[in-house]
Amino acid sequence: MSDAEEQVAGEQAPAEGAPSGSGPAANAQAMLEYLARAVVEDPDAVEVDVDEGRRGVVTLNVHVGDGDMGRVIGKRGRVAQSIRTVVRAAAVRDGVNVDVEFVDS
Amino acid sequence: MEWVETTGKTVEEAKDLALDQLGVDTQDAEFEVLEEPRTGLFGRVRGEARVRARVAPRQQRPRQDRSSRNKGSAAPKAFTGGGGTEAMASTSRPRTGRRPGAAGSATVAAAAPAPDTAGPAPGGRTVDEIVSVEAQADIMESFLEGLLDAFGASASVNRRAVDEETLELAVEGDDLGLLIGPKGQTLGAVQELARTVVQRRAAGTHEGRVRIDVSGYRQHRREALERVTRQVAEEVHRSGARKAL
Repeated sequence: MSDAEEQVAGEQAPAEGAPSGSGPAANAQAMLEYLARAVVEDPDAVEVDVDEGRRGVVTLNVHVGDGDMGRVIGKRGRVAQSIRTVVRAAAVRDGVNVDVEFVDS
Repeated sequence: MEWVETTGKTVEEAKDLALDQLGVDTQDAEFEVLEEPRTGLFGRVRGEARVRARVAPRQQRPRQDRSSRNKGSAAPKAFTGGGGTEAMASTSRPRTGRRPGAAGSATVAAAAPAPDTAGPAPGGRTVDEIVSVEAQADIMESFLEGLLDAFGASASVNRRAVDEETLELAVEGDDLGLLIGPKGQTLGAVQELARTVVQRRAAGTHEGRVRIDVSGYRQHRREALERVTRQVAEEVHRSGARKAL
């Protein structure tokens, strides 16, 4: 997905104020945790850590339990792609660009 | 690992269903075609395709492959198993000339040996349970509410029947443009995730469908489409000239 598309999304509802949580992408992180937990078998094993990169790009790394990787990725990566899309929308509220990585632990 | 057994009009369809239930991508699954649809005269299909599948036991594959975004890396490297590999080569059309008896089981094993290739496993989930539209909508609604919460949006979800087999969950609230996204992309992703969650929570045959709308987006799209169609129809009526839609 290009930056241009995210900006279009941003125009529809401009980012407002600081997020309630902590971290550079609190909204996006909360959304990612929620979505990942919703599709796995073992929600307790879901962990998201945040890598603050340069130039305002924040990388969110998702770790899931053994055997759940396929579930967050889905057929032909469809679930992963949908998660990325929704998380990026949430990130607009944080005022950052995020990159979601599914990490095999 | 549990086996699931599914049926479909084609082997491909049955596999798709199985993948849905397992929640994995093709390359992470192991299939066994139990029965191919039989082809009658003039290619008419009689009988259903039956496959069973499970999540392939995970081998020590190079991990870099998984995180690679290069779609090309989804190559069939996992299918080193001999023999039935051709069953994997998407045969969306049932093969003609197969005698019913010859439909036997072609096993596609992903690297690992499948110890119990004969007959369905006792632990396999049944596919015949019917999940009503209402039950699906219940699951989706609570998923949506959690999502709206995580989004920090104050919005309500209203349920309405579109037709006999379609329910709509309409999300209404302020400032929901982000949830729709450019060209409805985000809405599409939300729908896809909701569908996945339903599939995970309630395996079985899902009757009807549940549609999600945000701030009447789909409704507007539909109306716009209707307008265009009607305009073209009127013009064709006036001019008498053909026009493609």
